[in-house]
Amino acid sequence: MSEKAVTEEKRVFMTGNEVVAWAALAAGADIMYGYPITPQNEVMHYWTRLAPKYDKKFLQTEDELSAGFATAGGVMAGRKAFTATAGSGSVLMQEPMAMAEMMRLPTVAVLQQRGGPSTATVIYSQQEVTLTTIGGNGEGMRVVYSTAGHQELYDYTIKAFNTAWKYRFPTFVLGDGYQAKMREPLTIYDPETRGISLLEPEPFVGKEGEPGKDRPPAQYRNTFNLEEELYEKVMSDIREFEKVAPEIAEYESMETEGAELVVIAHGIVFRAVREAVANLRQQRFRVGGFRPVTLRPLPVTQIKELVAGAPKILLVESSYGQMARLLKEVACGSATEISTFFKPGVGITAGEVEARVKEIIKS
Amino acid sequence: MPDTTRMVLAGEGGQGVQAIAEILAEAANEEGRQALYIPNFGVEQRGGVSVAFLQISDQTIGSPKFLKGDIVAALSDRAVQRTAQYTGPETTFIYDSAMEGVADELPKNAARVMPVPAMEVAKKELQPRVFNMVIMGAVIGATGVITLDKAKAAVEKKLGYKFEKQPHLRDLNFKALERGVKLGSEMLGGLH
Repeated sequence: MSEKAVTEEKRVFMTGNEVVAWAALAAGADIMYGYPITPQNEVMHYWTRLAPKYDKKFLQTEDELSAGFATAGGVMAGRKAFTATAGSGSVLMQEPMAMAEMMRLPTVAVLQQRGGPSTATVIYSQQEVTLTTIGGNGEGMRVVYSTAGHQELYDYTIKAFNTAWKYRFPTFVLGDGYQAKMREPLTIYDPETRGISLLEPEPFVGKEGEPGKDRPPAQYRNTFNLEEELYEKVMSDIREFEKVAPEIAEYESMETEGAELVVIAHGIVFRAVREAVANLRQQRFRVGGFRPVTLRPLPVTQIKELVAGAPKILLVESSYGQMARLLKEVACGSATEISTFFKPGVGITAGEVEARVKEIIKS
Repeated sequence: MPDTTRMVLAGEGGQGVQAIAEILAEAANEEGRQALYIPNFGVEQRGGVSVAFLQISDQTIGSPKFLKGDIVAALSDRAVQRTAQYTGPETTFIYDSAMEGVADELPKNAARVMPVPAMEVAKKELQPRVFNMVIMGAVIGATGVITLDKAKAAVEKKLGYKFEKQPHLRDLNFKALERGVKLGSEMLGGLH
């Protein structure tokens, strides 16, 4: 048994990609499968630098399709396996992730969103929300954590492994190019010293004993002959997902009580919202902020309460309404006035959010 | 000094703007302050203008990029054009005075425009390759955003492995840094 990578709490200053590699080590990941794409490359670089020291493995595959399938395979062999990708790589990754969804495989994927569509920029966006939450030819039975900086990249990468292995739905950490490449301080820690117990992986195939006699046979299908058979399978997964959704859903809210307008954003854009809300409150504007931490499943109860209580909602994101579509579905039927501020593929600053809020309130 | 200092550093690839930003960020972090540094990069392998965005604050830092910098430093003529959009009425604009033909491109809307003879000083008094250290010193001198000691410690952390083999490089880099600080604070004094 190799020693632990992170033993004591330590303040560090590093890039987000490096954070992900450390977090995967701290989470007890066994192997990473990957294919290079900016801005995710350094997750692989740091992992390959660190992994051998702790008896961990890495395999570079020929593309993202095989990286995704290899991750599924690693999981079936009973290893905590993960991958990381971005942009067009996320598109290719949909096929294996849909299989993971169908076979209920606890894959973990870290996505560092870049500009889209196609090659676009290697810099930043929030344009992989639709793809990550409900991409693939299925019903989007996935867990997606949208992080807002390095501490969360660390916390939620660790959490992603536990969520995946507990609920057996493919789990994603949705970062972006800014979080991938920027340096900022965070505290790394051994999760077990903070009372977080790490779930042990177990193999799906190649188990001890005789199938049907000593244990149930291991049968993992992604192919069905009959519509009815498929319907039963898909509905059973949907029911299970819906049952555990409230346990998984997470959110952050600030000053929403009695607010005249609530700004909703996810991921790194919420940092601009936090700053804007604080500034606006100082100027006596009754403004609050809300952030779904999980984009899938969404914190439905809190969103419904919010739209019932706040007269005005402002949706802000670095895409042309990918988060908004998810939220509007939940808010459907509410009388709240919904405004938007969309900057696809471009970062959003506090000043811009402030200006948009004032425009809405004064109109 | 405002509680958050926002800086944009831009130059040609190889001029060392990313190194400066990283060292300044490291130094601020070592001082226990909040720091956020993000490089800007395109799809080109080489030949682009390299831009670094840096924020140093006593409070939690919000979005990684920003619209206008408190300090904007341009180390090449293309960088002068590239950074025009980050210059506003609060900005101190720093550029190397050896650059030719940029007079018309210099920002008209900046609070201050500071030509720094960094290349000249590096060439005549030191070595051309410590040009970026002179610029970094000038930024520190003009802003006081971090202490010289912490800057030196961060340089040591980043380049220490080179200094081990060639100790004279330490003196050279530190001298360049100190000279830059002097240039920066003189400029500031002269403008007030």
